[in-house]
Amino acid sequence: MKNLVNNKLILLLLRIVVGGIFILAAVTKIADPLSFARDVKNYRLVGQTLSFFTAITLPWIELVAGVFLIAGFFPRSSALVVSGLLVFFILLVTVTIIRGIDVTCGCFGTFSRKADLWLIFEDTVWLVMAMVLLLSPGNDFCLLKRSRKQ
Amino acid sequence: MPLKRILTERETWRGVLVILGLSFMLSAVVNFGLIKRFMAGEFRQAFVSPDRHPGLVFVSLAETEDLWHSGLAVFIDSRAAADFARGHIPGAISVPLEEIKRGNLSLLEKIPRDRPLVIYCEGGDCQTSLLLAEFLSEQGYRDLRVFSGGWTEWTGTGMPVSGEDEKPGK
Repeated sequence: MKNLVNNKLILLLLRIVVGGIFILAAVTKIADPLSFARDVKNYRLVGQTLSFFTAITLPWIELVAGVFLIAGFFPRSSALVVSGLLVFFILLVTVTIIRGIDVTCGCFGTFSRKADLWLIFEDTVWLVMAMVLLLSPGNDFCLLKRSRKQ
Repeated sequence: MPLKRILTERETWRGVLVILGLSFMLSAVVNFGLIKRFMAGEFRQAFVSPDRHPGLVFVSLAETEDLWHSGLAVFIDSRAAADFARGHIPGAISVPLEEIKRGNLSLLEKIPRDRPLVIYCEGGDCQTSLLLAEFLSEQGYRDLRVFSGGWTEWTGTGMPVSGEDEKPGK
């Protein structure tokens, strides 16, 4: 298993898949910020102003982190940001289900689905992949090498 | 590499700052116009852009009552058919958003294009009235008024409900 996780091609593939899904999620939201702002507000955690500013900034964080992850620019940091976002999404959907609020997740703009248990499972799978990238010592195919190679 | 070490490394956090800083910068540049409009007070009631949905406005209970009494407007109930059957604003037409989403566009034939439309759903945080209004806007309807107080506010003030003789739009 350790060899598998340390395989540089597998790590590159993971970077492309995880980075790619973040870029896709970001682009669909950047295309229609107001619609995403409404999705954010529907979670009923923040008001109009915070929903607006979350909706215009969050997709850009996803986009930059996704691009950095694939390009290997600050690979550890981008994996950390992606993991952090996924932990946040999992917590958010969990709290939403517990509160009994029926919302579309807003994950992929118009193509979003319901925020349900299956979504938590999907996000957990993404989180595992992101954590592998975060914890792996791999440093190949990166634009900006890590300072200390293990 | 252990997580603890990753989290204590300066380089990790420098990278996080670069990612966040770049994201905020890009967001501010790309959304400059939108931020300006928000700061000027637009989108305070709802995230609906008048550029994309011209003629879509929100109306209060008092305005809705006036429109109902005048008989000029056609009332559209966007809730599920079962909710409509239980009770609705007298004279309202049932156009459940879920039916429209299922592709049942024949419901649109009942909606006149030359009269103001007042669209409502349950009230509170319900979204179907606004979503239906946006859909109708895309279909070319140009006088759309969303009554955000909805059925809850209407019944709360003792206004007539379905079964009354008085019908608007007749």
